[in-house]
Amino acid sequence: MKLLNKILFGSLSAIFLLSGYDGFSQAPDKGSLSVAINYFNDNNKIPYVLVRVKTKVNGKFKTVPGIPLKLFLNKDSAGLLIGKVVTNESGEATSFIPPSLKKEWSATIKHSFHASFMGNTKYDSTSADLTVGKAKILIDTVGRSVVATVLELKDTSWTPVKGVDVMLAVKRLGADLNINETATFATDSTGKASGDFKRDTIPGDLKGNITLVAKVVDNDQFGNLSIEKTVHWGSKFVSKANDFNERTLFATRAKAPVWLLFIALGIIIAVWTVLILLVQNILRIKKLGQEA
Amino acid sequence: MKNSKSIASDEQIIQDLLPRKFKTSGRIWVSLLIAICLVGIYAYYRQLRYGLAVTNMRDYVSWGIYISNFVFFVAISLVGSLITAVFRLAGVKWGAPLTRIAEMIAVAAIIFASIIIIVDMGSPERFYNLFIYGRIQSPIIWDVIVITTYFFISILLLYYPLLPDIKILLRFKEKSGPGLHKFYSFLGSFWTGSHKQYLLSKKAIYALCVAIIPVAFTIHTVTSWLFATTYRPGWDSTNFGAYFIAGAFLVGAGSVVVAMYIFRTWYHLEKYITPDHFDKMGRVLVLLCLLYLYFNVNEFLTPFFKMKESEAGYLNDMFSGSFAPVFWFAIFTGILLPIIILLFKQGRKPLPMFIVGIMVVVGAWFKRYLIVTPTLLHPFMPMHDVPEMYHHYFPSWEEWAITSGSLAGAMLIITLLCRIFPIVPIQETINEHHETAK
Repeated sequence: MKLLNKILFGSLSAIFLLSGYDGFSQAPDKGSLSVAINYFNDNNKIPYVLVRVKTKVNGKFKTVPGIPLKLFLNKDSAGLLIGKVVTNESGEATSFIPPSLKKEWSATIKHSFHASFMGNTKYDSTSADLTVGKAKILIDTVGRSVVATVLELKDTSWTPVKGVDVMLAVKRLGADLNINETATFATDSTGKASGDFKRDTIPGDLKGNITLVAKVVDNDQFGNLSIEKTVHWGSKFVSKANDFNERTLFATRAKAPVWLLFIALGIIIAVWTVLILLVQNILRIKKLGQEA
Repeated sequence: MKNSKSIASDEQIIQDLLPRKFKTSGRIWVSLLIAICLVGIYAYYRQLRYGLAVTNMRDYVSWGIYISNFVFFVAISLVGSLITAVFRLAGVKWGAPLTRIAEMIAVAAIIFASIIIIVDMGSPERFYNLFIYGRIQSPIIWDVIVITTYFFISILLLYYPLLPDIKILLRFKEKSGPGLHKFYSFLGSFWTGSHKQYLLSKKAIYALCVAIIPVAFTIHTVTSWLFATTYRPGWDSTNFGAYFIAGAFLVGAGSVVVAMYIFRTWYHLEKYITPDHFDKMGRVLVLLCLLYLYFNVNEFLTPFFKMKESEAGYLNDMFSGSFAPVFWFAIFTGILLPIIILLFKQGRKPLPMFIVGIMVVVGAWFKRYLIVTPTLLHPFMPMHDVPEMYHHYFPSWEEWAITSGSLAGAMLIITLLCRIFPIVPIQETINEHHETAK
């Protein structure tokens, strides 16, 4: 009986210990990330790259914040490091091309960018590449038309590019408004794209200035290019007459409507005059009593 | 008045109507009220210490039981103007014994209306900001001004008719005790009852009666505007001022009936507050019930008929949702059942009238709760991502304690005023007795 008890106790102990051992279980699958690099050159100044990181959750892409990435120019080498970045709440990170890479930047007419993520406990390592050619965009006006020119660097000279879609717009606060009904204009053999400005009534600043913008968006060869120009085509901004400083029901206490003051104070004075007279009446009654 | 014929002499009237010391039951009653007030004060201390977080008022229901209670107090205070002023100016002589009760209720109610609004503010030290930074454009400031004015008029209207009675009270030093005697001397030792004094007093009472009616209408109309000037379902109504005043007269009359019965029974005033008074007050009450019913139909039928999308949630919640039991209780108990009971002569006898009075007052209190809370739970623009608890409101124990404390406080003031002053005006009753004898 004792032996049976020992066997039973031993078996139960073994089952209990093994139930907590997970050495045979498969490690949970890590998620995979999708990294995309975008190249930007605004107003032909210092270019920068923007990296977007997403992952697929239940069949839908979701941005991933807090992912550390290394960005390289031309090849994955510590010597050509553009920068180390971490994605923000929108799953995005940006980095300008640093001055230390000026020599490498000027050496070639095409550049490739490389972004690499080393992996962590949640996601596998991943990387992405993007190659763009050096290009620039110019903007000018002819009468009431906007002309944009796209040029690419070939050998040592800037050459017009044909067939690039350019967006011609007016810069507004929230987004850009096309200069007319056409969404984009393709460049011709001279690299020019032009459109008529049909937003005559658009309000500008106090002097009527508006900002025109020409954009190449997500072009396979050149990435994102944009240029701006201020023109005097808008209508002068006249602040709408507001009643902020007028006497209204919604104004501050010092700006109460006169009619309200008149009525309210009139009633208050009338009623309280009667009440004060009635208190005075008590004093008169008191005086009469004392005289008696 | 028929019953006054049976009163033997002036002395007998005085002996009957002089204020009396509390017996054991009176002391227990006062102790109970003080105890409830103390619990309320402790709850208010907690609110001051920990902030309005101790209440269950949140972003949705920011005006909870305190504002309901405030509206209730303002409503009940209107009875002073009804019984004292309207009856007096209209030559309704049978209402004379009830004027003091009505004025005492009005003074007590208006004091606690002011206190409860300070409680609702959260930080009482900011009260002075209302006067320093208050905008005359705001209905809140109108309310502050009108409540102050109404309080002052009510005090004067209580004081002036007291002067002849104080002269009588001063004759009974041994009965009132040295403390009260000193107090009576301070209030009216100068009253000799001369013709000149009488004329001045009569003119003053007349002026007060004329003044208090528009002020009373204003106080409750402005209180209704606190809601009606806010764009919310159930409050966005042009009917609100009249609706509030009709309800206020009803609850005020109901409270007077309750007080009439209690004082009559407690102080054995059967000769002065007669079944005839109850019968007449019953007729007034049924008229006010019908008037309030009319305004309720006006207030709810048209929105119910249209059932606008933005108001549907609020209306459904009231008629058949979570507030339906309270809503139908308030309608049946506070309006419909009193109408049915009071239409019969038997229903206008003292005891049934007392029960009806309680029904009207309780129904009216819940009606005020329904004016405030369901609307706040159904705004036109709902807030997003608020905790689930914000969508419901049930007062915390601190809110209940403060509210109960305020109600007990108002009753305590009425009780103490009845201990100090005659409940039925003595001199007026004697004069009436003489006129009837002639």
